Amino acid sequence: MTHATTALLLTAPVAVPLAASAAHAAGGLRELRPHRRAAHALPRHSAGPVHRPPSPRAPAEPAQVTGPATGGPATGSAAAGPATGSGGPGVGPGGPATLTGGPRTEPPGPPPLGPDDPAAAPPPATGPHAPARTTGAWLGLVSPATILFCGAALATTVPQRGPVTAYGRLLRADALTVWLLLAVGAVAALACAANPAHLAHERADAGTARRYNLLIHAFLAAMSAAVLAANLGVLWIAIEATTIVTAFLVGHRRTRASVEAAWKYVVICSAGIGLAFLGTVLLYYAARQAGIPEASALDWATLATHADHFDPAVTRLAMSLIVLGFGTKAGLAPLHAWLPDAHSQAPAPVSALMSGVLLSVAFAGLLRYKTVADAALGAGFTRTLLAGAALLTLALAALLLLVQRDYKRMLAYSSMEHMSLIALGTAIGTPLAVSAALLHIAGHGLVKTVAFCASGHILRIRRTARIGRVRGLLAEAPALGVGFGLAVVALLGLPPFSLFASELGLARAGFAAHHSGVAAVALLFVLVSFAALVSRTARMVLGPPPEPEAVADGPVRLGVVAAAPLVTGLVAAAALGVTTGPLTRLLSAAGEIVGRH
Amino acid sequence: MRAIGTAAVAAQVVLVTAGAPLLAGTMRQVRARLEGRAGPGVGQPWRDLRKLLRKEAITPVGTGPAFRLAPLLLVSTTAVVAALVPLASTTTPVSGKADLILVVALLALGTVALALAGLDTGTAFGGMGASRGMTVAALVEPTILLAAVALSIPAGSTNLATIVGDGVRDPVRLASPAGLLATAALAVAVLAETGRLPVDNPSTHLELTMVHEAMVLEYAGPDLALVELGAQMRLAVLLGLLTSLAAPWGIATTASPAALALALVLLTAKVALLGTALAAAEVFWAKLRLFRVPELLAGSFLLALLAVTASYFLTGE
Amino acid sequence: MNDSVYTQLLDLACGAFLLAAVVVLWLRQLSSIIRVFALQGAVLAALAALLGVREGRWDLLAVAVGIGLLRAGALPHIVRRALAAGTPPPARHYEEDNSEAREARPLVNVAASLIGAALLTLLAYAVARPLVELDPTPATRALPVGLAVVLIGFFTLVTRRRALAQVVGFLLLDNGITATAFLAASGVPLIVELGVSFDVLLAVLVLQILTTRMRAAFGGTGIDDLRELRD
Repeated sequence: MTHATTALLLTAPVAVPLAASAAHAAGGLRELRPHRRAAHALPRHSAGPVHRPPSPRAPAEPAQVTGPATGGPATGSAAAGPATGSGGPGVGPGGPATLTGGPRTEPPGPPPLGPDDPAAAPPPATGPHAPARTTGAWLGLVSPATILFCGAALATTVPQRGPVTAYGRLLRADALTVWLLLAVGAVAALACAANPAHLAHERADAGTARRYNLLIHAFLAAMSAAVLAANLGVLWIAIEATTIVTAFLVGHRRTRASVEAAWKYVVICSAGIGLAFLGTVLLYYAARQAGIPEASALDWATLATHADHFDPAVTRLAMSLIVLGFGTKAGLAPLHAWLPDAHSQAPAPVSALMSGVLLSVAFAGLLRYKTVADAALGAGFTRTLLAGAALLTLALAALLLLVQRDYKRMLAYSSMEHMSLIALGTAIGTPLAVSAALLHIAGHGLVKTVAFCASGHILRIRRTARIGRVRGLLAEAPALGVGFGLAVVALLGLPPFSLFASELGLARAGFAAHHSGVAAVALLFVLVSFAALVSRTARMVLGPPPEPEAVADGPVRLGVVAAAPLVTGLVAAAALGVTTGPLTRLLSAAGEIVGRH
Repeated sequence: MRAIGTAAVAAQVVLVTAGAPLLAGTMRQVRARLEGRAGPGVGQPWRDLRKLLRKEAITPVGTGPAFRLAPLLLVSTTAVVAALVPLASTTTPVSGKADLILVVALLALGTVALALAGLDTGTAFGGMGASRGMTVAALVEPTILLAAVALSIPAGSTNLATIVGDGVRDPVRLASPAGLLATAALAVAVLAETGRLPVDNPSTHLELTMVHEAMVLEYAGPDLALVELGAQMRLAVLLGLLTSLAAPWGIATTASPAALALALVLLTAKVALLGTALAAAEVFWAKLRLFRVPELLAGSFLLALLAVTASYFLTGE
Repeated sequence: MNDSVYTQLLDLACGAFLLAAVVVLWLRQLSSIIRVFALQGAVLAALAALLGVREGRWDLLAVAVGIGLLRAGALPHIVRRALAAGTPPPARHYEEDNSEAREARPLVNVAASLIGAALLTLLAYAVARPLVELDPTPATRALPVGLAVVLIGFFTLVTRRRALAQVVGFLLLDNGITATAFLAASGVPLIVELGVSFDVLLAVLVLQILTTRMRAAFGGTGIDDLRELRD
């Protein structure tokens, strides 16, 4: 793989979502200033806002990659809009007389990404040949598809040839990165596919929809950046950026509850992640004192190889702060209070993204630090911290699941439960356990996305988030009932879904590594949450519908567009549960990076 | 040598005793002028004392020795403090005994005696004043002790003469965070200890607000004169101590008559300046509500504590 | 600059830095709190500049200027604007004591929180022992000051019941972290410093907008009103 290709593959997952976000912003700008169209716009378009690796054609491009989302690219794509776009409201491709077929407003014109960048933009509907009406609806899939494609391309080479870097070790991809990139891409694809339906039913006006899309894509860019960052400082910046970007997504509806959730989210996460930065600073101090020069004293690969010279006491302090801080963002106790609020108030696709991958991305950041700390301190210290936080979270989640009356909060607490299982897996720390935890990340991401998207549809039909008010879903909306029910079954860890395989792997690794006590306590709490989830979901899904007249004119149909993400997610999770197939090698390589025998 | 030391002690006591009413008079005069009044003149406190001392001694029915002894104790402890503290000279025969903790204890003795006297009268005001006075004192004493510790760490001793002597030799130390914080904490503590604004208003007789005045409400004649003199002397001594600690320049560290004379003049000037500044500031201050006083004192306690930690860790070895 | 003057100035700056955090805890009027916070930002910039001069690194001076602009200028300005938006000018002079502009009822009263701050400072000194022992220089000896400000910021964040007081708490936390970075290793690499500053600026902007929305939704900025979501 040439240097340019590598750079392209590492840049695109960040740059394409950023550009998509900028395109949405540009749509807004153009609406504000309708006369801002100049004849010289076209030549600028040909130079294009597309992000390329350093090459003779566009030597200055990498500078744009890290620029603000509304910066340079915005002007280019604003000008590009009229050249390629159709403009005006498009109608979504939903089925007839279904839930998703409502009128849908799109920011006019696609961002000029696909045509310029064939390698990174495979989705079929981005070219100028696609019908204008579907263009808008499928536009949102460009970013996830780019992320997935780059992940897949890297997955073919990285496990064999080792990690690759770009821009002087600013971006780096090893097996762990690639695995997470794939998880982010997959979950983002599902969530973005659910976006149009969601927006249509929110009856969002053009401005709201544009803001929503802008933030979603910026969110994806920040997550990709967090995954790809080679520098721990940049990793921190990207994680904090996800908080900033998602704040308005959580507070999207501007009701009292969602403003409250957004406030708590920003304050708790920023403060928590601030502690993680303090830990990073202390680690940097330890690294500088160990003789590492300033330029590479936050570079993960350098730190991981030289960590055995670090001062143990300082590293211990740093690691405690980091576990606390990144644990906040990953939904681990004690600073977890934001999670159920934010997840229950955010729009369903956003909840899916946050729960499915944001927590895992933050946790993956923690994994990077764990390898450094383990090299400096031995595995015991971080293991104790992680296992303590995980068991505390697990206990809290199980108890709160027992008394839960809101199904979105129920799913949020279930996310905490699964995050603590992942944390336990990394606490055990053998490569098998870490691989199982990584598989759990992917499986949980897919399934939780399905569950949250389904819960969004339930909220729309029943107009309540109370578990007690939802009955007989299967009778009222069979497809939705099946989707939600299967998602919960998968979350419970039943075969054939991948969570079964990973939980089995975690339990086996726990007992094999002689942490039977911890594993047994964890199993007990998992059983408690199992019982809570089963009883609540059964009440929601089974039984007769509460209002017989609601089903008088036939059951509510879900529609192809709304059902597609649910089906795809469930099928993918099931497939991952049967076999990891070509990804097996990648998964074990990722497990080797973090795990220690 | 020894004679000059003794002379210095005597001069300090005389200067404090004679100057304290004048200081109070100056402060009242400054205040009066700033408020647009003519004012009674600097000598008015002395004239008041003379008038009170000529009167017949009267004690309320049912009061015991605590009530009679308190004014004497107040004045005598303050006089002893005036003798001990290195206001003008650090080389006096008693400077070896001038321990900061001892000074604090002597001042506390006077406060307690006065509170007991307030209780002894058995009136509502006396009890209320004593209770309030003790509350403030309980909050002030730890602050003063902590500030003392903070100041004594660099000097390696709690002896006031050593601390002040160090300050004269090494002025940089005074501007260190520890020194500044400790001085600020001491300043607040001095305000509270002497019953000045914003903790207590010395010129009020409103039952809701008075602290010191409520304790001494039953005194009359020569006893009242002693109480007033004691309070004024405390203010003078504490302001003098504050200047010695914060701006020790000019204090005689050798036993020469010229240095002593210069030190006495400088002491008078510094205390008068500080008193004037305090009086001017009091014009702009309002008295804190009683339940806000603990906040102020907790703040000064915190300053003192920060001073201690700073002197230990910031530059410390 | 000789050693003793440098140490003296460094200690003075650190003392003022810590004192500003304590005073924030002491005050109730939000406008005064913001003023003190701006002062703290200026002190932080001075600290960075001092280290830059000491090490002869001119890039640190530029960073110091940036920090001064951000933390003594932009951030207090944003918070002040958020405050001004919520407090219309008083109709009569005696009405200025409205509850929006004051931290009226903190979770822990002021006297207790001052004592709490004292304990937190001691805790910071205890925790920072290994940090100082690793490389005892005048700058690292002052590391506990940075940690103490972090803890005090966290304390403010947890105990204050006004949205903007919480924002100031968060910013104190962040100032403390920056000070720690400067005292420990003369600051993090430039790109990280830039990114972090940008993140903080954006976070405060987000919080400002959320305050506006909170006022629209709840009619005030009291955190105690936020009780829609609970289990």
